Amino acid sequence: MKISKLTKNFERFSLFVDEMELVPGKIYGIIGPNGCGKTTAMKLIAGLIKPDSGQIDRCGLTERDITMAFRKPYLIRDTVVRNLTYPLTIRGIQPDERQIKESLSLAGLWDYRDSFAPGLSSGEQQKLSLLRAMIFSPKLMLIDEAFSNLDMESAGLFERMILERQQTNPATYLICAHQLSHIQRLCAYIFFMHKGKIEARGQAEDILYAPQNPHLKNYLKYASLREEAPGWNS
Amino acid sequence: MMFEILDAEVLGIITLTLRMTLFSTAISSLIGIPLGLWLDSARFAGKKLVVIINRTLMASPPVVVGLVVYLLLMRNGPFGFMGLLFTFEAMVIAQVLLLTPIICGIVHTASARSAEGIRLFARTMGANKTQTQLLLIKELGNDIFFAVVTGFGRAMSEVGAIMIVGGNIRHQTRTMTTTISLLRGMGEIHQAIFLGAVLMLIAFSVQMTADFFRKRERASDENF
Ligand SMILES: Nc1ncnc2c1ncn2[C@@H]1O[C@H](COP(=O)(O)OP(=O)(O)OP(=O)(O)O)[C@@H](O)[C@H]1O
Ligand SMILES: [Mg+2]
Repeated sequence: MKISKLTKNFERFSLFVDEMELVPGKIYGIIGPNGCGKTTAMKLIAGLIKPDSGQIDRCGLTERDITMAFRKPYLIRDTVVRNLTYPLTIRGIQPDERQIKESLSLAGLWDYRDSFAPGLSSGEQQKLSLLRAMIFSPKLMLIDEAFSNLDMESAGLFERMILERQQTNPATYLICAHQLSHIQRLCAYIFFMHKGKIEARGQAEDILYAPQNPHLKNYLKYASLREEAPGWNS
Repeated sequence: MMFEILDAEVLGIITLTLRMTLFSTAISSLIGIPLGLWLDSARFAGKKLVVIINRTLMASPPVVVGLVVYLLLMRNGPFGFMGLLFTFEAMVIAQVLLLTPIICGIVHTASARSAEGIRLFARTMGANKTQTQLLLIKELGNDIFFAVVTGFGRAMSEVGAIMIVGGNIRHQTRTMTTTISLLRGMGEIHQAIFLGAVLMLIAFSVQMTADFFRKRERASDENF
């Protein structure tokens, strides 16, 4: 996936991404202050909004291969199970009962399987939307602060799920989070955005522990990062 | 006395009223629902004006609509050759003109509130055009249902337009409202009141049934 000279202008904001490349099967992070354009950039990559100019080469990926999970997910006015299986339903795939029970149980949602999904708590809604996005194994998954309301255990669960999947069924991820611990544990490569531009990029260690860019330094000033990532793989 | 309470003629009038109401609501829904959804998603110059015109039509006086349909259908009018004036069809035409903007307007308002989010979601799931449209109708179900029921209520209680284009002809275009109007003119106040009460009772039952079928689940909101 390759992006070049991408622009998007709003009344009071303009985004310009000179160049960005996502290698298949890798997990990328995107960080930056509020309003720097992270969500806008991700929507452009997902094809949810159209750029004013520039190119996005999705290397053969279609809408069916890409998904995006949001901080405030949209849940269908229906049961938890029907929300979870919606992507399968529209693809004409018969859902695997055992797998559904397993994933809902893991996320603590099995007891709510027949409840009205929009009535769930905000964290439960996020968990459901993440499960729903992962159930059809998209090739590119954009996660926009979709961990923000999860308790630590649940966040850990999804982090592990993502990392385990990378072993068996690798996909490309672009993850945005203000809680940098998620980024630190998941992402190998990080983009830092500031006022609509990517101002710094590099290996996670370099970006998080040896920042050069003054804006990035400032952004990280209040971050409490562990010296060493625990590494779920070990 | 013009007729005994609930004799065959009254039953005929009630049936005719319901038939006319059902027909006009069905036709108006078939036009108004897609139109309301389309009006929200379409981007064209003058869209704002179309929305404002529709809002005006939502409140158009029935006698004016009746008059327009009358002028169109009268013998020397552009559609006079069809011989529809003072028929059941003429009443349905007038009702459709009254109801469609109402149904379209309610659906459009609901759609403007939440369709964008639903469409975006459908794209993230990889839904195709038809699937997105189906999801939209499902998600807006309650609002669409409300629009249809509102249209139904309006059609049943309307009198100004159907009086003009239907002509209140006995056994043909005499509905409950036009009968009430006639009875009052004849000084048959008791019968008028009786028929009015029956009309209100039917309207109430329709709303009760509609409420029974409405989906009641509520979304959670942390703020309240
Ligand atoms: N549809 C829109 N119309 C006008 N302005 C917009 C639109 N979408 C986003 N913006 C503006 O673009 C800027 C960047 O928004 P964006 O949502 O991409 O920020 P963000 O980096 O995701 O911020 P946050 O960390 O708060 O989520 C903001 O100033 C926002 O007001
Ligand atoms: Mg954002």
